[in-house]
Amino acid sequence: MTFLRMTASRPWLWAWIAAVAVFGITIAATAGASAAGLAQAAFTFAAFSVIVGLGQMFVITLGPGNIDLSIPATMTLAGTVSLKLMDGQEAMILPGILVALGIGACVGVLNYTLIRALRIPPIIATLALSFIVQSTAIWTNRGLRVKPPESLASFSTGTLWGVPNVAIVAGLLTIAAWVLLERSGHGRRISAIGQSLPAARRAGIPVEGVRLATYVLCATLAGLCGFLLSCFSGGAALNMGAEFLLVSIAVVVIGGSSVAGGNSNVPGIWGAALFLFLVVSMLNTYGFGAGPRLILTGFIIIAVILAASARGRTAA
Amino acid sequence: MTRKILLTTAFGAGLGTALGLMAVPAVADTSDSRIALSNNYAGNSWRQAMLTSWETVTGPAVAEGVVAAADAFTTGENSATEQAAQIQNMILQGYDAIVVNAASPTALNGAVREACDAGIVVVSFDGIVTEPCAWRIAVDFHEMGRVQIEYLAEHLPDGGNLLEIRGLAGVFVDDEISAGIHAGVAEHPQFEIVGSVHGDWAQDVAQRAVAGILPSLPEIVGVVTQGGDGYGAAQAIAAAGRDTPIIIMGNRQDELLWWSEQKAANGYETMSVSIAPGVSTLAFWVAQQILDGNEVPKELVVPFLAITQDSLAEDLANTPVGGVANVEYTLEDAQEVIAGAM
Repeated sequence: MTFLRMTASRPWLWAWIAAVAVFGITIAATAGASAAGLAQAAFTFAAFSVIVGLGQMFVITLGPGNIDLSIPATMTLAGTVSLKLMDGQEAMILPGILVALGIGACVGVLNYTLIRALRIPPIIATLALSFIVQSTAIWTNRGLRVKPPESLASFSTGTLWGVPNVAIVAGLLTIAAWVLLERSGHGRRISAIGQSLPAARRAGIPVEGVRLATYVLCATLAGLCGFLLSCFSGGAALNMGAEFLLVSIAVVVIGGSSVAGGNSNVPGIWGAALFLFLVVSMLNTYGFGAGPRLILTGFIIIAVILAASARGRTAA
Repeated sequence: MTRKILLTTAFGAGLGTALGLMAVPAVADTSDSRIALSNNYAGNSWRQAMLTSWETVTGPAVAEGVVAAADAFTTGENSATEQAAQIQNMILQGYDAIVVNAASPTALNGAVREACDAGIVVVSFDGIVTEPCAWRIAVDFHEMGRVQIEYLAEHLPDGGNLLEIRGLAGVFVDDEISAGIHAGVAEHPQFEIVGSVHGDWAQDVAQRAVAGILPSLPEIVGVVTQGGDGYGAAQAIAAAGRDTPIIIMGNRQDELLWWSEQKAANGYETMSVSIAPGVSTLAFWVAQQILDGNEVPKELVVPFLAITQDSLAEDLANTPVGGVANVEYTLEDAQEVIAGAM
């Protein structure tokens, strides 16, 4: 009973339980010999999902209909332009980062402008904008992969006391996001808008300002993720963001945040991101073909979401 | 130079087909012809190189009056329905030939049939269509997989464990290359494929997939690939602190550069194999030859582009930074391919 009560108040626990279970099954294939290597790989790749997932979480928290589908295109454009600008030169690292973040911020502002000024639903507005952003990325460099500066490449693939550097970056951002959501007035306002828009308006919350800031934050994180991922994988590719559309939403949902908005949690995003990476590794390790692997991935995800939401309902 | 060859072939073709038309212009029968490229996807570097090659080769061809127009069209989404609609538009616009890289081998057959019925020459390449009225310039993907094992068998006579990186699940190219690899392993049973992951022909996806499976794998002596995934695999293996096995590369410049650095540092040996994006220009010349009245077999095979230890330096120098090793085909190359298939 205490276990049930504990999970009910902490919906993120399910993602972590699932991640740990899948981790255990995977390393069982080699009798535990692979534990350190697998954990390091999982934290490395989960870091990228976490960075975009945090942004998507804030947008989803804003309530029904709020979603950002321009994340993949923003990642691609930020990665492409910043790596082309740096052109492998150490001196250009700072301008490169600023350009990546700036592109993200601009996309966020444009997203919000479409939503607000033209009254287009977010799902359409962000998707439409993503076509423009993606085409701009193609036009900028026609898919040529420019290498990152050496120090950035070694930083993004390196580790500090065994912890991947990208995971440290994602970890710091996670702490900041937790403080922002749970401890700051701004976070309270985001949740309030998600729980009831009319009530938030009456309470005098500057609804539109908060929404603008949230879309900008999400796109800026996507820009940062695109930048880090291109440095990590040795160059930006036109299709490098493709997977992150579904992943950014999946980590929020599996992590135990409410899809309807207004009630989100940060730790679940890490659990879900680790879980998503480990599921694929587990099924690869046990030699499943592509078909069964995709089907099983789907079933496992549904099972985790059901488990998390069933506990949530009993609590309510 | 191209013009000279064209003149002679136009003359030869003219003798065969248009003997009565004395007023035929001197260049070629195709100078009034308009050719369209129907392309289903532009979102990766290979496709971008394919479109660039098309421009590079067809631009001068149009300027010299070989054909009247060679316009390239790409659909926004990688969808067969959209491409079918695009082909129907091309029929209405009155193109004489449509060169198509198809989203699906079968889903476009209806539209392709309509084009044929309207008297339009349809040449499919890379992503080919099964409709019998169209020409097909296919790549022997099966062989592309098999030669990898052949190469490994030569360099590692004792065999060992292999990791296979596959492409995009559900695409026919992925199945073909993988079938070729497995056929190769059946021929050389000293090899065993101990792990298989999908890298989607993208370095970052391959890197993630390899990093995920690597901790649970025994020592591997070789990595067989499909192109666009070798560099990602190399990075994942380096990050895991393992010795670098023979990783077959896929002609991407970052892969060739990495290979050449390793070669300089420790004599690393491997091979690289993929299709040249310039295959679009081969399809262009084939379409031109058909319009010119030449007899062209319906099934053509384009050789894949292999890079060896010896040709590495030269091929790397000729590959644009961040791009793909490429060959642009000339009219003579097209005639050679056609003659070879007769």
